[in-house]
Amino acid sequence: MKHSVISLTINGAERQVLVAPGTTLIDVLRDNQGLSGTRRGCDQGACGACTVLVDGKTMMSCLLPVETIDGATVGTIEGLTPMEGLHPIQEAFLEGFATQCGFCTPGMIMATAGLLDKNPNPTRDDAVRAISGNICRCTGYESIIDAVLDAAARMRAAKRAKAA
Amino acid sequence: MLHTVATPGSLAETHTALSTLGSARIIAGGTAVTPTLNAGTDDFTSLVSLRRAGLSGIAIKDGSAAIGAVTTLAEIGDEPALGFLVPALETIGSPTIRNMATIGGNLFVRQPYGDLAACLIALGATATVSDGTTTRIEPVEKLVASPLKSNEIVTQVSFALPAEGSFKFTKAGRKAMNTAAIVTVASVVITSDGVVSQCRIGLGGVARSAVRARSVEQALTGRPLDRASVEEAAKQAAHDIDPADDSYASAWYRGRVTPVHIRRALIGE
Repeated sequence: MKHSVISLTINGAERQVLVAPGTTLIDVLRDNQGLSGTRRGCDQGACGACTVLVDGKTMMSCLLPVETIDGATVGTIEGLTPMEGLHPIQEAFLEGFATQCGFCTPGMIMATAGLLDKNPNPTRDDAVRAISGNICRCTGYESIIDAVLDAAARMRAAKRAKAA
Repeated sequence: MLHTVATPGSLAETHTALSTLGSARIIAGGTAVTPTLNAGTDDFTSLVSLRRAGLSGIAIKDGSAAIGAVTTLAEIGDEPALGFLVPALETIGSPTIRNMATIGGNLFVRQPYGDLAACLIALGATATVSDGTTTRIEPVEKLVASPLKSNEIVTQVSFALPAEGSFKFTKAGRKAMNTAAIVTVASVVITSDGVVSQCRIGLGGVARSAVRARSVEQALTGRPLDRASVEEAAKQAAHDIDPADDSYASAWYRGRVTPVHIRRALIGE
Protein backbone atom coordinates (compact mmCIF):
# COMPACT_ATOMS: atom_id res chain seq x y z
CA MET A 1 0.00 0.00 0.00
CA LYS A 2 1.51 3.30 -1.09
CA HIS A 3 2.16 5.50 1.90
CA SER A 4 1.83 9.31 1.86
CA VAL A 5 3.83 12.02 3.56
CA ILE A 6 1.57 14.30 5.58
CA SER A 7 2.60 17.56 7.27
CA LEU A 8 0.96 18.63 10.49
CA THR A 9 1.83 21.30 13.02
CA ILE A 10 1.31 19.49 16.33
CA ASN A 11 1.41 21.60 19.49
CA GLY A 12 3.40 24.23 17.63
CA ALA A 13 5.98 21.86 16.12
CA GLU A 14 6.01 21.03 12.42
CA ARG A 15 5.97 17.31 11.83
CA GLN A 16 6.10 15.16 8.72
CA VAL A 17 4.67 11.66 8.98
CA LEU A 18 4.58 8.71 6.60
CA VAL A 19 1.13 7.13 6.73
CA ALA A 20 -0.74 4.22 5.19
CA PRO A 21 -4.03 5.16 3.46
CA GLY A 22 -6.81 5.81 5.95
CA THR A 23 -4.57 6.43 8.96
CA THR A 24 -6.54 8.65 11.31
CA LEU A 25 -5.27 11.59 13.34
CA ILE A 26 -5.52 9.64 16.60
CA ASP A 27 -3.32 6.91 15.08
CA VAL A 28 -0.70 9.54 14.23
CA LEU A 29 -0.88 11.27 17.61
CA ARG A 30 -0.66 8.15 19.77
CA ASP A 31 1.25 5.58 17.71
CA ASN A 32 3.45 7.80 15.59
CA GLN A 33 4.08 10.81 17.83
CA GLY A 34 3.87 9.10 21.22
CA LEU A 35 1.32 11.65 22.42
CA SER A 36 -0.81 9.26 24.43
CA GLY A 37 -2.81 11.92 26.27
CA THR A 38 -5.49 11.70 23.57
CA ARG A 39 -7.60 8.60 24.32
CA ARG A 40 -9.15 6.04 22.01
CA GLY A 41 -12.57 5.29 23.51
CA CYS A 42 -14.84 4.12 20.69
CA ASP A 43 -13.35 4.85 17.25
CA GLN A 44 -16.89 5.94 16.28
CA GLY A 45 -17.02 9.60 17.30
CA ALA A 46 -19.54 8.80 20.03
CA CYS A 47 -17.49 9.15 23.24
CA GLY A 48 -15.34 12.26 22.74
CA ALA A 49 -12.27 10.84 24.50
CA CYS A 50 -10.27 11.59 21.35
CA THR A 51 -11.20 15.29 21.21
CA VAL A 52 -8.38 17.56 20.01
CA LEU A 53 -8.20 21.02 18.40
CA VAL A 54 -7.74 21.08 14.63
CA ASP A 55 -7.21 24.55 13.16
CA GLY A 56 -8.58 25.90 16.43
CA LYS A 57 -11.81 23.84 16.43
CA THR A 58 -12.67 20.84 18.57
CA MET A 59 -12.80 17.68 16.46
CA MET A 60 -12.79 13.92 16.99
CA SER A 61 -9.29 12.76 16.09
CA CYS A 62 -10.59 9.21 15.52
CA LEU A 63 -12.73 10.43 12.62
CA LEU A 64 -10.10 12.35 10.65
CA PRO A 65 -8.10 10.48 8.01
CA VAL A 66 -4.88 12.55 8.12
CA GLU A 67 -4.56 12.59 4.35
CA THR A 68 -7.66 14.80 4.31
CA ILE A 69 -6.13 17.37 6.74
CA ASP A 70 -2.64 17.71 5.29
CA GLY A 71 -1.15 20.98 6.55
CA ALA A 72 -3.48 21.38 9.53
CA THR A 73 -2.59 22.75 12.96
CA VAL A 74 -3.34 20.31 15.77
CA GLY A 75 -3.52 20.98 19.51
CA THR A 76 -3.58 18.16 22.06
CA ILE A 77 -3.74 17.98 25.86
CA GLU A 78 0.05 17.86 25.90
CA GLY A 79 0.13 21.19 24.08
CA LEU A 80 -2.29 22.75 26.55
CA THR A 81 -0.07 21.84 29.49
CA PRO A 82 2.45 24.62 30.23
CA MET A 83 6.13 23.85 30.81
CA GLU A 84 5.62 24.43 34.52
CA GLY A 85 2.48 24.05 36.56
CA LEU A 86 -0.95 23.51 35.05
CA HIS A 87 -3.31 25.28 32.70
CA PRO A 88 -6.26 26.94 34.54
CA ILE A 89 -8.62 24.35 33.03
CA GLN A 90 -6.47 21.55 34.44
CA GLU A 91 -6.31 23.30 37.82
CA ALA A 92 -10.09 23.67 37.90
CA PHE A 93 -10.62 19.98 37.06
CA LEU A 94 -8.10 18.85 39.67
CA GLU A 95 -9.25 21.09 42.49
CA GLY A 96 -12.92 20.46 41.69
CA PHE A 97 -12.53 16.64 41.77
CA ALA A 98 -13.80 16.62 38.20
CA THR A 99 -11.71 13.58 37.36
CA GLN A 100 -11.72 10.04 38.81
CA CYS A 101 -10.26 7.43 36.49
CA GLY A 102 -9.10 10.22 34.19
CA PHE A 103 -9.87 8.48 30.91
CA CYS A 104 -12.39 11.05 29.67
CA THR A 105 -10.45 13.96 31.14
CA PRO A 106 -8.18 15.01 28.27
CA GLY A 107 -11.19 15.02 25.92
CA MET A 108 -13.26 16.99 28.44
CA ILE A 109 -10.44 19.51 28.88
CA MET A 110 -9.96 19.97 25.13
CA ALA A 111 -13.73 20.42 24.67
CA THR A 112 -13.56 23.02 27.45
CA ALA A 113 -10.61 24.75 25.78
CA GLY A 114 -12.62 24.92 22.55
CA LEU A 115 -15.58 26.44 24.40
CA LEU A 116 -13.61 29.05 26.33
CA ASP A 117 -11.74 30.11 23.23
CA LYS A 118 -15.05 31.11 21.62
CA ASN A 119 -16.98 32.07 24.74
CA PRO A 120 -14.99 33.22 27.80
CA ASN A 121 -18.16 33.73 29.83
CA PRO A 122 -20.30 30.64 29.35
CA THR A 123 -23.57 29.91 31.12
CA ARG A 124 -24.17 26.54 32.74
CA ASP A 125 -26.20 25.57 29.65
CA ASP A 126 -23.26 26.53 27.42
CA ALA A 127 -20.96 24.34 29.51
CA VAL A 128 -23.33 21.37 29.30
CA ARG A 129 -23.63 21.81 25.55
CA ALA A 130 -19.86 22.05 25.14
CA ILE A 131 -19.27 18.66 26.76
CA SER A 132 -22.35 16.99 25.25
CA GLY A 133 -20.06 14.98 23.00
CA ASN A 134 -17.94 13.64 25.86
CA ILE A 135 -18.98 10.61 27.90
CA CYS A 136 -17.86 10.12 31.50
CA ARG A 137 -18.60 6.90 33.38
CA CYS A 138 -17.24 7.98 36.75
CA THR A 139 -18.22 11.44 37.90
CA GLY A 140 -21.86 11.95 36.97
CA TYR A 141 -20.83 15.13 35.10
CA GLU A 142 -21.81 17.72 37.76
CA SER A 143 -18.25 18.22 39.01
CA ILE A 144 -17.07 18.50 35.41
CA ILE A 145 -19.66 21.18 34.58
CA ASP A 146 -18.68 23.08 37.74
CA ALA A 147 -15.02 22.80 36.71
CA VAL A 148 -15.76 24.21 33.25
CA LEU A 149 -17.38 27.27 34.81
CA ASP A 150 -14.60 27.54 37.42
CA ALA A 151 -11.99 27.35 34.66
CA ALA A 152 -13.77 30.14 32.79
CA ALA A 153 -13.73 32.29 35.93
CA ARG A 154 -10.03 31.59 36.51
CA MET A 155 -9.17 32.54 32.96
CA ARG A 156 -11.21 35.73 33.07
CA ALA A 157 -9.53 36.70 36.35
CA ALA A 158 -6.09 35.99 34.91
CA LYS A 159 -6.91 38.14 31.91
CA ARG A 160 -8.04 41.01 34.14
CA ALA A 161 -4.90 40.66 36.27
CA LYS A 162 -2.74 40.73 33.16
CA ALA A 163 -4.53 43.78 31.82
CA ALA A 164 -4.19 45.61 35.12
CA MET B 1 -8.63 -2.46 2.47
CA LEU B 2 -8.21 1.20 1.68
CA HIS B 3 -5.82 1.85 -1.20
CA THR B 4 -6.14 5.55 -1.89
CA VAL B 5 -7.31 8.75 -0.27
CA ALA B 6 -7.82 11.46 -2.89
CA THR B 7 -8.07 15.13 -1.93
CA PRO B 8 -9.29 16.89 -5.11
CA GLY B 9 -8.96 20.66 -5.19
CA SER B 10 -12.03 21.38 -7.33
CA LEU B 11 -15.37 19.94 -8.42
CA ALA B 12 -13.87 18.89 -11.76
CA GLU B 13 -11.01 17.08 -10.01
CA THR B 14 -13.57 15.40 -7.73
CA HIS B 15 -15.46 13.98 -10.71
CA THR B 16 -12.19 12.81 -12.28
CA ALA B 17 -11.26 11.05 -9.03
CA LEU B 18 -14.68 9.41 -8.78
CA SER B 19 -14.54 8.11 -12.35
CA THR B 20 -10.95 6.86 -12.23
CA LEU B 21 -10.80 5.33 -8.77
CA GLY B 22 -12.48 2.01 -8.28
CA SER B 23 -14.99 1.47 -5.49
CA ALA B 24 -14.75 5.07 -4.26
CA ARG B 25 -16.64 6.55 -1.33
CA ILE B 26 -17.11 10.28 -0.85
CA ILE B 27 -16.06 11.66 2.55
CA ALA B 28 -16.95 15.15 3.74
CA GLY B 29 -16.82 15.62 7.52
CA GLY B 30 -16.09 11.96 8.14
CA THR B 31 -18.62 11.55 10.95
CA ALA B 32 -20.51 8.83 9.06
CA VAL B 33 -17.82 7.30 6.83
CA THR B 34 -14.76 7.07 9.11
CA PRO B 35 -16.51 4.92 11.74
CA THR B 36 -17.00 2.21 9.09
CA LEU B 37 -13.32 2.46 8.19
CA ASN B 38 -12.33 2.13 11.85
CA ALA B 39 -14.67 -0.79 12.44
CA GLY B 40 -13.53 -2.61 9.32
CA THR B 41 -17.08 -2.67 7.95
CA ASP B 42 -16.20 -0.40 5.03
CA ASP B 43 -17.02 -1.57 1.55
CA PHE B 44 -14.82 0.79 -0.46
CA THR B 45 -11.14 0.85 -1.47
CA SER B 46 -10.81 4.57 -2.18
CA LEU B 47 -11.89 7.68 -0.35
CA VAL B 48 -12.53 10.93 -2.18
CA SER B 49 -12.36 13.77 0.35
CA LEU B 50 -14.40 16.88 -0.47
CA ARG B 51 -12.62 18.98 2.16
CA ARG B 52 -10.57 20.99 -0.34
CA ALA B 53 -12.94 20.84 -3.34
CA GLY B 54 -14.24 24.38 -2.87
CA LEU B 55 -17.77 23.33 -1.91
CA SER B 56 -18.06 25.27 1.36
CA GLY B 57 -19.55 28.64 1.97
CA ILE B 58 -22.83 30.41 2.62
CA ALA B 59 -24.29 33.11 0.37
CA ILE B 60 -27.31 35.06 1.59
CA LYS B 61 -28.92 37.07 -1.20
CA ASP B 62 -32.39 38.40 -1.97
CA GLY B 63 -33.95 36.52 0.92
CA SER B 64 -32.41 33.18 -0.02
CA ALA B 65 -29.58 31.08 1.34
CA ALA B 66 -27.24 29.09 -0.89
CA ILE B 67 -25.09 26.75 1.20
CA GLY B 68 -22.16 24.77 -0.16
CA ALA B 69 -22.60 21.05 0.48
CA VAL B 70 -19.38 20.80 2.50
CA THR B 71 -20.32 23.66 4.84
CA THR B 72 -20.24 22.37 8.42
CA LEU B 73 -23.23 22.51 10.74
CA ALA B 74 -21.18 24.78 13.04
CA GLU B 75 -20.56 27.23 10.19
CA ILE B 76 -24.29 27.25 9.39
CA GLY B 77 -25.07 27.99 13.04
CA ASP B 78 -22.61 30.88 13.06
CA GLU B 79 -24.30 32.61 10.10
CA PRO B 80 -26.55 35.38 11.52
CA ALA B 81 -29.20 35.06 8.77
CA LEU B 82 -29.59 31.35 9.61
CA GLY B 83 -30.03 31.88 13.37
CA PHE B 84 -33.52 30.33 13.15
CA LEU B 85 -31.84 26.96 12.49
CA VAL B 86 -29.68 27.04 15.65
CA PRO B 87 -32.19 25.25 17.96
CA ALA B 88 -32.46 22.48 15.35
CA LEU B 89 -28.70 22.29 14.72
CA GLU B 90 -28.00 22.01 18.45
CA THR B 91 -29.98 18.76 18.58
CA ILE B 92 -27.58 17.20 16.09
CA GLY B 93 -24.51 15.56 17.64
CA SER B 94 -22.30 17.76 19.80
CA PRO B 95 -20.35 20.97 19.10
CA THR B 96 -17.36 18.76 18.25
CA ILE B 97 -19.39 16.71 15.77
CA ARG B 98 -20.92 19.90 14.34
CA ASN B 99 -17.43 21.26 13.66
CA MET B 100 -16.99 18.32 11.29
CA ALA B 101 -20.43 17.22 10.00
CA THR B 102 -21.65 18.84 6.79
CA ILE B 103 -25.05 19.79 5.38
CA GLY B 104 -24.42 17.57 2.34
CA GLY B 105 -23.38 14.61 4.46
CA ASN B 106 -26.45 14.97 6.66
CA LEU B 107 -28.65 14.39 3.59
CA PHE B 108 -27.25 10.88 3.17
CA VAL B 109 -26.80 9.51 6.68
CA ARG B 110 -29.20 6.69 7.43
CA GLN B 111 -32.26 7.26 9.58
CA PRO B 112 -32.80 7.86 12.45
CA TYR B 113 -29.98 10.38 11.94
CA GLY B 114 -30.25 13.18 9.39
CA ASP B 115 -32.41 15.74 11.17
CA LEU B 116 -31.25 18.60 8.98
CA ALA B 117 -32.89 16.88 6.00
CA ALA B 118 -36.27 17.15 7.80
CA CYS B 119 -35.61 20.89 8.26
CA LEU B 120 -34.67 21.31 4.61
CA ILE B 121 -37.84 19.54 3.49
CA ALA B 122 -39.90 21.94 5.63
CA LEU B 123 -38.00 24.85 4.09
CA GLY B 124 -38.75 23.63 0.57
CA ALA B 125 -35.02 23.40 -0.08
CA THR B 126 -33.48 22.27 -3.34
CA ALA B 127 -30.13 20.58 -3.94
CA THR B 128 -27.82 21.09 -6.90
CA VAL B 129 -26.53 17.76 -8.19
CA SER B 130 -23.49 17.58 -10.48
CA ASP B 131 -22.43 14.58 -12.56
CA GLY B 132 -19.34 16.16 -14.11
CA THR B 133 -20.99 17.36 -17.30
CA THR B 134 -24.39 18.65 -16.24
CA THR B 135 -26.07 19.90 -13.11
CA ARG B 136 -29.68 19.49 -12.11
CA ILE B 137 -31.78 20.97 -9.33
CA GLU B 138 -33.70 18.50 -7.22
CA PRO B 139 -36.08 19.15 -4.30
CA VAL B 140 -34.47 17.74 -1.15
CA GLU B 141 -37.58 15.68 -0.40
CA LYS B 142 -37.05 13.82 -3.69
CA LEU B 143 -33.28 13.60 -3.32
CA VAL B 144 -33.28 11.85 0.03
CA ALA B 145 -35.80 9.26 -1.15
CA SER B 146 -33.71 7.90 -4.02
CA PRO B 147 -29.98 7.15 -4.21
CA LEU B 148 -27.63 9.17 -6.38
CA LYS B 149 -25.70 7.54 -9.23
CA SER B 150 -22.08 6.75 -8.41
CA ASN B 151 -20.70 9.76 -10.32
CA GLU B 152 -23.14 12.30 -8.85
CA ILE B 153 -22.42 14.76 -6.06
CA VAL B 154 -24.57 17.29 -4.27
CA THR B 155 -22.70 20.59 -4.50
CA GLN B 156 -25.12 23.04 -2.90
CA VAL B 157 -28.36 23.32 -0.97
CA SER B 158 -30.61 26.37 -1.34
CA PHE B 159 -33.79 27.64 0.22
CA ALA B 160 -35.76 30.83 0.68
CA LEU B 161 -35.41 32.23 4.19
CA PRO B 162 -38.68 31.63 6.03
CA ALA B 163 -40.78 34.47 7.42
CA GLU B 164 -39.74 35.34 10.95
CA GLY B 165 -41.22 32.94 13.48
CA SER B 166 -42.67 30.60 10.84
CA PHE B 167 -40.04 27.86 11.23
CA LYS B 168 -40.65 25.43 14.08
CA PHE B 169 -38.69 22.41 15.15
CA THR B 170 -38.98 19.72 17.75
CA LYS B 171 -37.03 16.52 18.24
CA ALA B 172 -37.70 13.63 20.59
CA GLY B 173 -34.66 11.51 21.41
CA ARG B 174 -33.29 9.21 24.07
CA LYS B 175 -31.14 11.88 25.73
CA ALA B 176 -31.42 15.63 26.06
CA MET B 177 -28.47 16.10 23.70
CA ASN B 178 -26.41 14.11 21.22
CA THR B 179 -29.04 11.55 20.30
CA ALA B 180 -30.57 10.26 17.12
CA ALA B 181 -34.28 10.86 16.60
CA ILE B 182 -37.26 9.01 17.89
CA VAL B 183 -39.28 11.62 15.98
CA THR B 184 -38.11 14.89 14.43
CA VAL B 185 -40.65 17.46 13.26
CA ALA B 186 -39.72 20.56 11.27
CA SER B 187 -42.35 22.91 9.89
CA VAL B 188 -42.86 26.18 8.11
CA VAL B 189 -46.44 27.39 8.55
CA ILE B 190 -47.87 30.63 7.18
CA THR B 191 -51.19 31.85 8.54
CA SER B 192 -53.56 34.57 7.45
CA ASP B 193 -55.96 35.78 10.17
CA GLY B 194 -55.17 32.64 12.12
CA VAL B 195 -55.98 30.32 9.21
CA VAL B 196 -53.24 28.17 7.68
CA SER B 197 -52.58 29.35 4.14
CA GLN B 198 -49.38 27.41 3.55
CA CYS B 199 -47.58 24.69 5.38
CA ARG B 200 -44.68 22.35 4.83
CA ILE B 201 -43.85 19.68 7.39
CA GLY B 202 -40.74 17.50 7.36
CA LEU B 203 -40.49 14.40 9.54
CA GLY B 204 -37.38 12.51 10.59
CA GLY B 205 -36.86 9.20 12.33
CA VAL B 206 -40.12 7.71 11.06
CA ALA B 207 -39.32 6.33 7.62
CA ARG B 208 -36.44 5.09 5.49
CA SER B 209 -35.57 8.70 4.79
CA ALA B 210 -36.75 12.08 5.99
CA VAL B 211 -40.26 12.57 4.58
CA ARG B 212 -42.76 15.29 3.87
CA ALA B 213 -46.00 14.97 5.81
CA ARG B 214 -48.23 15.78 2.82
CA SER B 215 -51.36 14.20 4.33
CA VAL B 216 -51.02 16.37 7.42
CA GLU B 217 -50.36 19.46 5.29
CA GLN B 218 -53.45 18.82 3.17
CA ALA B 219 -55.61 18.29 6.23
CA LEU B 220 -54.34 21.46 7.87
CA THR B 221 -54.33 23.92 4.97
CA GLY B 222 -57.37 26.20 5.19
CA ARG B 223 -58.01 25.30 8.84
CA PRO B 224 -57.34 27.50 11.87
CA LEU B 225 -53.99 26.94 13.58
CA ASP B 226 -55.57 25.82 16.85
CA ARG B 227 -55.20 22.70 18.97
CA ALA B 228 -58.32 20.94 17.71
CA SER B 229 -57.50 21.41 14.03
CA VAL B 230 -53.83 20.54 14.45
CA GLU B 231 -54.60 17.37 16.40
CA GLU B 232 -57.13 16.32 13.78
CA ALA B 233 -54.68 16.96 10.93
CA ALA B 234 -51.79 15.30 12.76
CA LYS B 235 -53.69 12.01 12.83
CA GLN B 236 -53.17 11.87 9.05
CA ALA B 237 -49.44 11.42 9.65
CA ALA B 238 -50.05 7.67 9.68
CA HIS B 239 -50.36 7.91 5.87
CA ASP B 240 -46.98 9.63 5.53
CA ILE B 241 -44.74 7.55 7.77
CA ASP B 242 -43.32 4.04 7.71
CA PRO B 243 -41.44 3.73 11.02
CA ALA B 244 -39.03 0.97 11.92
CA ASP B 245 -37.86 -0.69 15.13
CA ASP B 246 -34.38 0.23 16.24
CA SER B 247 -32.43 0.68 19.44
CA TYR B 248 -33.96 4.13 19.99
CA ALA B 249 -37.66 3.24 19.80
CA SER B 250 -40.07 0.74 18.31
CA ALA B 251 -42.06 1.35 15.15
CA TRP B 252 -45.25 1.19 17.20
CA TYR B 253 -44.02 3.88 19.61
CA ARG B 254 -42.90 6.16 16.80
CA GLY B 255 -46.27 5.85 15.09
CA ARG B 256 -48.02 6.56 18.35
CA VAL B 257 -46.10 9.74 19.26
CA THR B 258 -45.61 11.31 15.81
CA PRO B 259 -48.98 13.16 15.93
CA VAL B 260 -48.17 14.41 19.44
CA HIS B 261 -44.82 15.85 18.36
CA ILE B 262 -46.39 17.38 15.25
CA ARG B 263 -48.83 19.20 17.52
CA ARG B 264 -46.06 20.31 19.88
CA ALA B 265 -43.94 21.60 17.00
CA LEU B 266 -46.77 23.51 15.36
CA ILE B 267 -48.43 25.10 18.38
CA GLY B 268 -45.87 24.65 21.13
CA GLU B 269 -48.09 22.64 23.45
